[in-house]
Amino acid sequence: MTGALGIYNYWIYVLLMMIGLYGVIAKPNLIKQAIALGLFQTGIFLYYISMAVIDGGTAPVWTTILDGAQKFEGPYDNPLPHVLILTAIVVSVSVLAVALALIINIKRTYGTIEYDEIEAMDQADKRADYQRSQVVDAADDLEQRLEGHHHA
Amino acid sequence: MNAVVLIDTLLLLLVTVTAVAIIEVRSLYASAILTGIYSLLMALVWVNMHSMDVSFTEAAVGGGISTILLIGTLVHVGRDEKPIKKRLHVPALVFTALTGAALIYGTLDMPRFGDPAAPIHHYRVPEMMAQTVGFVNGTPGKQKPPEGFDVERYRRFDGRITGPIPDDPKDTAWRENSALRLEGLMVPQVHAAHEPHAEPGHHLHPPDDFNGHVPNSVTSLLAAYRGYDTMFETTVIFTAGVSLILLLRRPRREGYLQSGAVMSDQVILRVVSKLSIPFILIFGFYVITHGELGPGGGFQGGVVLATAFILYALIFGRAALYRVVPPPVSDILTGVGVLIYSGTGAVCMLLGGKFLDYSMLNRELPGDGESLGMTLVEYGVGITVSMVMLTIFNQLAEERST
Repeated sequence: MTGALGIYNYWIYVLLMMIGLYGVIAKPNLIKQAIALGLFQTGIFLYYISMAVIDGGTAPVWTTILDGAQKFEGPYDNPLPHVLILTAIVVSVSVLAVALALIINIKRTYGTIEYDEIEAMDQADKRADYQRSQVVDAADDLEQRLEGHHHA
Repeated sequence: MNAVVLIDTLLLLLVTVTAVAIIEVRSLYASAILTGIYSLLMALVWVNMHSMDVSFTEAAVGGGISTILLIGTLVHVGRDEKPIKKRLHVPALVFTALTGAALIYGTLDMPRFGDPAAPIHHYRVPEMMAQTVGFVNGTPGKQKPPEGFDVERYRRFDGRITGPIPDDPKDTAWRENSALRLEGLMVPQVHAAHEPHAEPGHHLHPPDDFNGHVPNSVTSLLAAYRGYDTMFETTVIFTAGVSLILLLRRPRREGYLQSGAVMSDQVILRVVSKLSIPFILIFGFYVITHGELGPGGGFQGGVVLATAFILYALIFGRAALYRVVPPPVSDILTGVGVLIYSGTGAVCMLLGGKFLDYSMLNRELPGDGESLGMTLVEYGVGITVSMVMLTIFNQLAEERST
């Protein structure tokens, strides 16, 4: 296959990866981000598997060994990318599972899974902490001054 | 335009449309279901590209388990996304467009789809095949060592070639002068056209592995050529299971038994699931056991086994599942799978070979040893994968700790 169609698969891989990347950046919902990360990964899978294809080839299962009689004369697709991606898919579901567990814990802690709301809460917490520390400092200061006054 | 490319073009268009829908649809529930559809379409794409094992994994993992996990999570976190005021995130769009343009510029250098001259179809392929399928004098497959062949001496010899291999296959002079022949050993057949590393000083894989009992080269690469990689991949999955337990398991004093929704009052669901669960289990074991003969293996079979248990839990409640597979049992089995894998490697070492050198398991017929070792390893992977998937499902479904 020559011409533009010859690298069509690679364009789709870029497209899928970028759709995933857009989702991770643009969507504040954490579940959406986890799914988008999965899309990004499948883009890479497509890239690897596309490279393994050979014209006129077939699945790399050596039928000769089974019956000894049939012999496939053509080439076999390269099995190495298949191996890499096979394990990558299972790792991707592990990643998804851990991400979902973290999201459930975030929901329990914050009551929301929207990133911008979590960020706002953290900021508010920080501000409240700061104000509280200011008040405590002022109180300490006052106490010390009062004590000094008393001793004097 | 041949059929492969035509189907590929159409399927990938569908995949892309689905991907956009997954990101843009507002209901998370719809997004999760679309993810399942996306994975099934991807599985078709992989079949079209002759990648049966990947397709199998994608269908089982992406179409099955991932969707269940996502929906199980949505129960806890709500099924709708918060409405956003502006639909299009301009900075993200600009950033992804620029990155995408750079990557597409990069693809212009890629070899064309299916090009037989692409480097990937030459680099180390014969070597990998020799190690996995077993080439003896150019023929892959089940063969016995020739009369008087000294396997032990071959193992000690590192098979270094001394001169360039000519392009003409009829030109056999190099064989006579090779270090192997000078040692009085057999020289493996090498196809010069397929031998990009036919330069002096390069290692030839000695033809000591008359294995050829492992027709599925994906499985044999997985368990032999990339055996360490797969072992640690299994460890990664084990780690994911442990993380889920640490993150979500309720304290033991609160007890495991939490039923969740039970659907066993629905006659059709109850009967159909009871009928199909034994077949799903048999299919799972079949896929694991036949991993080295055809598409499938520990990862796929493990996921299939897990779906049988998950189906049982969905219909009869998790309390019923915990009676069948109590959490301590599944916890221990996740570790046992990794232990079987690494233990097989260790046994190969004790028998005098390298770590994960399966041919040591059967000195008389190294090929049978390879086959046996790979089946053992696949069972290790299968046990870990199925039990981790089950643990992940249980933990995600577990209710809030009070």
